[in-house]
Amino acid sequence: MKNILINYISEQVSDDFSDQEIDVDEDLLGSGILDSLGMMKMIFFIENEFNVSVPPEDMVIENFMTIDHICNYLSGK
Amino acid sequence: MELFTLTDIIKNSTALYPDNEAFKCNDISVSYKELDIKTNQLAKCLTDLGVKKGDRVGIYLNRCIETSIAIYGILKAGAAYVPLDFTAPHSRTQYLLDNCGIEFLVTSKSQKRRIASLPDDDFSLKGIIGLNQDLPVNRISWDFVFNSNVESFTHPKITEGDLAYVMFTSGSTGDPKGIMHTHGSGLNYAKLSANLYKINSSDRVANHAPINFDISTFGYFSAPLAGASTVIIPDAHTKFPMSLANLMEKEKITIWYSVPLALIQILLSGALDKISLNSLRWVLFGGEVFGLKYLKEFIQRWPNVTFSNVYGPAEVNQCTYYNFNSLSETDAQLPIGKVWDNTEFKILDDNDKEVVKGEKGILVIRSGTMMKGYWNNEELTKTSVYEEEIAPTFSHVYYRTGDLVKLNENEDLIFLGRKDRQIKLRGYRIEIDEIENKILLFDNVIEVAVVLVNNGSEEKELMATVLIKPNTNVLSKEIKKYCQKHLPIYAVPSHIEILESFPRTSSGKVNRKKIEEILEAL
Repeated sequence: MKNILINYISEQVSDDFSDQEIDVDEDLLGSGILDSLGMMKMIFFIENEFNVSVPPEDMVIENFMTIDHICNYLSGK
Repeated sequence: MELFTLTDIIKNSTALYPDNEAFKCNDISVSYKELDIKTNQLAKCLTDLGVKKGDRVGIYLNRCIETSIAIYGILKAGAAYVPLDFTAPHSRTQYLLDNCGIEFLVTSKSQKRRIASLPDDDFSLKGIIGLNQDLPVNRISWDFVFNSNVESFTHPKITEGDLAYVMFTSGSTGDPKGIMHTHGSGLNYAKLSANLYKINSSDRVANHAPINFDISTFGYFSAPLAGASTVIIPDAHTKFPMSLANLMEKEKITIWYSVPLALIQILLSGALDKISLNSLRWVLFGGEVFGLKYLKEFIQRWPNVTFSNVYGPAEVNQCTYYNFNSLSETDAQLPIGKVWDNTEFKILDDNDKEVVKGEKGILVIRSGTMMKGYWNNEELTKTSVYEEEIAPTFSHVYYRTGDLVKLNENEDLIFLGRKDRQIKLRGYRIEIDEIENKILLFDNVIEVAVVLVNNGSEEKELMATVLIKPNTNVLSKEIKKYCQKHLPIYAVPSHIEILESFPRTSSGKVNRKKIEEILEAL
C-alpha cells in the first residue's frame, strides 16, 4: 500500500522537485508536493485503487497529512 | 516606548509581555522573549554570512513557525524580506531572485526537494539558512542559528524610511510587480489595524494567508504590536475545512482574517454544527467579494461576532473598512466603507477630474500606509500615482487603485469592479464583476469567474465558469436561462462551464488566466 502511494505521488510531482524518494512522514501539503487539487485527485485515486469510499467526515488532516497517516487510515477501514 | 520601525514591535512587546505566546504553528510556539533571542541569532548569522543593510533576503517557506523568525531576523539584520511563493514554478522563483538581486534565502527542511532542484543558475545564491543538505553554497542549519552567541552582534541602525519588504503580486496577468514597503508604511498599517480592531495582549489571531500575500501582515505585524498571539494556520489545515474549523475551536481564536473562500468552505463542510467558537469576536475578510447569501448565514450563526469588510490593494495595505453585525434585507451589495485614519481619497474620472458626488469613478488613495513604489520599475511607479500639485514645489501623491467605486448616501464607498475588468464587447461597455455578482446569487453557486475567451474568430467571446456546491446538481443551461432573465443580452455569457474546482493563485484568488486557457481549449 505504502509503495503504491509513493509511486503514485512521485508520478504526480512536477519537475521542480528533486527526485529523492518521498518520506512516509513528510507533510504532503506543507512541502508543496501536493496542492489542493492534487490532494483531491489522490483521494479519488485511493478510492479507486483500494476500493474504499472516503466520506466527507473522514476528510481531515489526521487521515491525509502524510503517507503514514493515509496507510493508518486505510488499514482501519 | 515610541515605535518607529517594525523591529521596534518585537523590542516593545518583549519588554511588556515577555512570556506571552507570540506565534504558534503546529503546536510549536515562541514567546516574545524567545522570539527576540531567536531573531537576534538569525540577524547575526545573516550578517556573518555577508548580508548588508538594504539587501533583499528571500524567504522560501511554507506556513510554519520559522516564518516569524525569518521575517523579524531579516529585518533586524537591516535587510528587507522578500516572501517567495513556495508553490510557484521555479521559473517564477528564478525571475524574482534575479529581479531582486537576492543572494540569501531563509528556508527549512520541508522545502529541501524544491531548493535542491532549483536550476544551477540560481546558485548565484551565496547562502541558505535552514538546510544542511549538500548544496553548492554556504549552508547554515536552524540548529546552528539557535546555538549562536549574539553577544558580539551590533544591531544596525534602522529608520522608518528603510526598505522592509518587497511583496510580489500573485500576478494572474503580466509580470509580477514588486511592491516596496518601508518600516514606516508597514508600521503605520500595524498601528492603524491594531487600533481599529482593538487588538489586545490576550487576543488570539488566526493567520490564514501565506507570507507572500499582503493580508499576512495583520498576523505578523499588527497582532505582535498589541502583544497578542498569532496562530499560523498550517498548510494542511487550509486544505481540509473540517480540520480548520477544529483548529479555530482548539486555539480559541478571537480574531479571524482570511479570504471569504476559506470561511465558505468551512460552512459547506458542515463543521460549524460540531464546534463552538465562543471566543471569536472579529471576522475580517478581504481579497475578494463575499457572496451575501453566505455572509448572512455567518451573521446568523455568529451573533457575537463583528464582521469587517477589508479593502485595500497591497500597494496601500488596507485603506477602508466596513464593520457590521447585521445586514438589512435590502442591501444588494456590501460597501467597502470608509477610509481609515491618516488616509485621504478622491474619485476621479477618465480625465483625472473629480466626479460629482455619487458618480462612478476610479478610487485614488493617499495614506501613511502607502508603498514606496515598485521594485526596479520606475516607469510603473510613475504611472501608478496621481499627483495633485498643492504648491509649485509640493504635491500630494495618490495611488491609483484601478478600482471603480462610488459613494452611497451614507458616504460609504461601494466597490463596482476593477477598471481592467471593464470590457468592451460589440460596442457595449460591460462590467465583468456585475455579471459575476449576478450569477453568484444563483442557488448552490459558490464562485464565478467570467472571462473573455479568444475563440479564434475576430471577436472575443464572453464565457463563465462556475464552481458549485459539492453534491448538488446545477445545470449550466439553468444558469444561462437565469442570466438571460437578469442581464442585458450582450452581457449573457455564451457558454457556462461548471467546474469542480477552480485554478487559483497562491493567495487563493481565482486564476483567471488559467480559466481562459481552460475555456479556450474547449
